[in-house]
Amino acid sequence: MGLCSLLRRVAAVAPGAAVKTVAWTVLPFPCGSSSAGRRALRKELLKALRVSGSPVIVDFSGCRTLNHEDIDLLLECVAEVAGRDTQVLFVAGSRVNRVLLEVTRISSLVPVFNSVKEALAYPQIAAENDAEDRRAS
Amino acid sequence: MELGAVVVVPAREDLTTAMLEAQPHALAASENRRPLYSSRMPILGNDALRPWMDCIRKLGLQSLWLTSGSRDTNVARSALARFARQGIERLLVIKLKSYAEMDLADLLRFHCESRNPVTEAQDARGQLGVCLLDHLALQATGEKYQFSCAPTDSGRTPYQFRGYAKRILSARERQELVGDALTGACALRPLGTQIREQVWIGDGADLASSVRVIGPTYIGARTIVRAGAIIGPFASVEHDCVVDCGTTVQRSTVLPHTYLGPGILIRHGIVDGGQLEDLDWGTVADLQPAGLGGRIQQHESRRQAFSEIDVFSPPGRTTAWDFAPSSAASQPWLQVQL
Repeated sequence: MGLCSLLRRVAAVAPGAAVKTVAWTVLPFPCGSSSAGRRALRKELLKALRVSGSPVIVDFSGCRTLNHEDIDLLLECVAEVAGRDTQVLFVAGSRVNRVLLEVTRISSLVPVFNSVKEALAYPQIAAENDAEDRRAS
Repeated sequence: MELGAVVVVPAREDLTTAMLEAQPHALAASENRRPLYSSRMPILGNDALRPWMDCIRKLGLQSLWLTSGSRDTNVARSALARFARQGIERLLVIKLKSYAEMDLADLLRFHCESRNPVTEAQDARGQLGVCLLDHLALQATGEKYQFSCAPTDSGRTPYQFRGYAKRILSARERQELVGDALTGACALRPLGTQIREQVWIGDGADLASSVRVIGPTYIGARTIVRAGAIIGPFASVEHDCVVDCGTTVQRSTVLPHTYLGPGILIRHGIVDGGQLEDLDWGTVADLQPAGLGGRIQQHESRRQAFSEIDVFSPPGRTTAWDFAPSSAASQPWLQVQL
């Protein structure tokens, strides 16, 4: 599994709603990788985005700031998931990263969170909203 | 009674202190150190010194002394004592850290009536960096007075200013001042040609035909805005900047000689070269490693200290004050004719 970690939890627990399991793939984004490390990271990221049917969370918590190679890779990730069912989420980890994601407009394409915990709550909220909608109809 | 005037431009090491005074929690909370904005950085093309010069001229003064502040207050004290020896009986000291639409004649009247040796102007948020000193205070500087407009002693009655004032060393207040000036909420006016309602363009600015300018907005002299960019509302792009294709600048200030890369979004902040101070997130991001922005190299001739003085003071109208001790050489005093 390498850098990936897989989390599973019950996502929708609203009364009357079908209980379904949602899995997330959390990928830590290391800082200042060598070119070999970056190639490996790119390969792993794109592979996770291609094969995973579940949301992929890219976590920048270990990365203080983003350079142009990081931005390029993130844009490649965004392009990879565009028009597909795979959902990608970013965890900024720092306000500096958050600002850089806003400046590059990546945050308008991909949901950005402050922590993995917040990101994990995101699909759950979406699932709960779905359950609400089903109940209402 | 002979009146003199001194304007002190805070030195870079003083700016951190001034900003800490203005926003202690903002600085502590931010992950990165805030950039040290100079108080001489233009605001909508205006030198922050200019309004103070106009105020001083209205007092009937023919000239003022301009210097930079320093942590070495001994030098400043000796300079103040020198004013006293030269027959100056009352000295107006303005530390250039705020823009305030202040009637200095009223401050002078208050100072005379209150009979304090020192009167400091303040508003609801504290000192504005404007003080009046009597000859007694000038002579006693060695013991009591600090050039940096020290906190008001309990015995002094401060001058309460209730007019318009903003601290220009605070990024947030600086941006508020820009917004107020663009909408006519204060007396400051953008330096340029008004091309339509609430939109001003400086001389030699070059805007591609597909650029969208949304007022209120200011684009400074010689600034280049490339195709598809959106500038405004409430944006100020100062002189000699380049805003690349498709970039959006709104509710923000771009300080002189800044390059902004293509396709980026500056939403609420101040950009100085490669440094972006984001006012929503209260942090500073370095745009340069991400290839999103940077500093445009200036010509050597424009890098001199007090270079902005050239704009309003032709050669021969300034006089350097060559005063002892020699340690003061790094802290030049210039006499500016009004």
